Amino acid sequence: MASVLSQELVTTAALLLGVSLVVFLILYLAPGDPFAALLGGRNLSGAERDAAFEALGIPKTWYGQYLTWIAHVLQGDFGISMRSGQPVVREIFSSGMKTLFLTVGSLIVTLAVAVPIAAYSAVQPSSLRARAGTLLVYLFSALPTFWLGYMLIYFFTRKLGLFPILSATDETQEYGWLYALLPVVLLGLGNGALSEIVRYLREEISRVMSEEYVRTARAKGASIWRHAYKEALLLPVSQIIAAKMPFVLGGAIIVEQVFNWPGLGRVAWQAAQDRDYPVIMAVTLLAAIVVRLGSFLHRTVYVAVNPRASQQ
Amino acid sequence: MSTPPLLRIEDLRTYFYSRVKHAFVRSVDGVDLEVVRGETLGIVGESGSGKSVTMLSAVGLVTAGPGVITGKVTFHDEAPQDLLQGLDSNVKIERRDGRIMHITKDNQAWQKQANLNLRGVRGGKISMIFQNPRAALNPFETVGHQIAESVRLHTGMKSAAQAKERALYWLDQVRIDSPRLRYDNHPYGLSGGMSQRAMIAMALAAEPRMLIADEPTTGLDATIQARIVDLLDDLKTRLGMTMVLISHDIGVISRLSNRIAVMYGGRVMETGPTAEVLDEHANGHPYTRALLASTPRRENVTATGRLPAIEGEVLDTINVPCGCRFRARCQRVNDTVRTRCETREPELFEIAQGRRIRCWLYSPQ
Repeated sequence: MASVLSQELVTTAALLLGVSLVVFLILYLAPGDPFAALLGGRNLSGAERDAAFEALGIPKTWYGQYLTWIAHVLQGDFGISMRSGQPVVREIFSSGMKTLFLTVGSLIVTLAVAVPIAAYSAVQPSSLRARAGTLLVYLFSALPTFWLGYMLIYFFTRKLGLFPILSATDETQEYGWLYALLPVVLLGLGNGALSEIVRYLREEISRVMSEEYVRTARAKGASIWRHAYKEALLLPVSQIIAAKMPFVLGGAIIVEQVFNWPGLGRVAWQAAQDRDYPVIMAVTLLAAIVVRLGSFLHRTVYVAVNPRASQQ
Repeated sequence: MSTPPLLRIEDLRTYFYSRVKHAFVRSVDGVDLEVVRGETLGIVGESGSGKSVTMLSAVGLVTAGPGVITGKVTFHDEAPQDLLQGLDSNVKIERRDGRIMHITKDNQAWQKQANLNLRGVRGGKISMIFQNPRAALNPFETVGHQIAESVRLHTGMKSAAQAKERALYWLDQVRIDSPRLRYDNHPYGLSGGMSQRAMIAMALAAEPRMLIADEPTTGLDATIQARIVDLLDDLKTRLGMTMVLISHDIGVISRLSNRIAVMYGGRVMETGPTAEVLDEHANGHPYTRALLASTPRRENVTATGRLPAIEGEVLDTINVPCGCRFRARCQRVNDTVRTRCETREPELFEIAQGRRIRCWLYSPQ
């Protein structure tokens, strides 16, 4: 187990290094000068520019700049936002937590809906309830997130007056966090993956249910779920989390726009508009870490569940 | 009056629906069987004769639809208990001219009722071992755990330590080498023979009244097969166990069983004591004779160096012909019985005490 985890850590480190390098290069090659703002917006000649760089201690080559950035990042210093002058870490921490809340929350909502429907329709495929559940799931998946989002806002804030329009920023109110439920539920149900997840889970569950060892469980009078849950639920669910993490992050950005949610998506959007390079780099790295965490989770569950994997 | 049999199956019918052919596959089509206390009943027949499905139906392990539709299965341990009680109310059968045209079954309610009927019986009083033991054991759990689970579910021993001791005892009983080591093994670390021993230990750990062994040696190496048969033989005499042995291997059946039921096309064709049924010179059903003639033995090899095979194909249980099921492949049909063979299905004629044959040749008239 320990060896598998350390192996994962090495892979993660290599991946993050690669991602940061690629993003850095793209930014470097893209039009626009990251130092323009720093140098007061003046267009300096080559010699003046070199002198200014020298004075500020900035390496002249791109790899020099990259290595400096890496060296700082390794010490936990992501630099200072060019737009706000605040340290990047502080800038993206609160918005990062809000996005994390949104993505993790919505994944929980997705699974809380998908697992029972999938399990039920795997065990009783022709029952009316299973069919109704499947239909509902397809309906949710077919509706575009932004449309569903505006409909929810229309009903819950305009018609019923239950939620303020600015959801998560309303921290002055006692139950401010409750208002976060609307976007979480929307992203959980409305992301197009719901039907796909139900289908995948249903297939896995019915495959495992016809395994011979599940028949043995039945024959010995034991609970079949106690024997089947590892292969029928744990593995596919962690697989789904790993596979859907990037899409949920992407979906979060749309929902953040619709709900005016001050999350990472908005910060990233703003940073791209302002060419706020330190923030762009940090956000990209954070997204890569979150995506990587998904597959790390899957790998951990796989190793924990599968006796063969843990003994290699 | 003699004691009632431990298990009695009456007119059991298990049908499956073939979506491809839009027809019912009559896997078990009116089976009557009895298992007497202390005996080993061998059920023999070609693949597809319905022998496994019969026993799986009796303990509610058939999950494909429509599954078991009618019949009565009485398990008589201390008091008679109908294992299929109340199930027929969930099945509606439409007949036309005596043939089943349509079956509607509330599968959910049926399963619920079946599980209720079988609580404490399945796995406890009746336990099972299967063919392909490596797939039949849960690959995610240690062998010891799976045996201990059986102990805790069906015996008074509830504590983990007690259950483990008992599981080790059973691992020792099935003569697995170094039981303490094997206890912590996952199934993938075991060979086929060891897995089957572990399965047997798991089945016996429930201290059942009856063991159903469904092709227990199929798929194992020949030498391992012989050892598993030895083990079952030994356990059966030592524990005085009642056993139902399902196999297509006449060698295995003849080693272990006291009584034999021969199945063909979803029906019992012949029953009787092992020695009599397998005696080639005694009276017997043409199908059993043909089966015996095709088993690989020195006497059976013909002058051309070949084994005689039974002509024709195994009965397609979708289009069951009227008359005798074995008619198309029968070598012994003669002019006196031919019309009856073609028009009416024979019943099980009793030709001697405990010896019944479903063939017009043995009709008393």
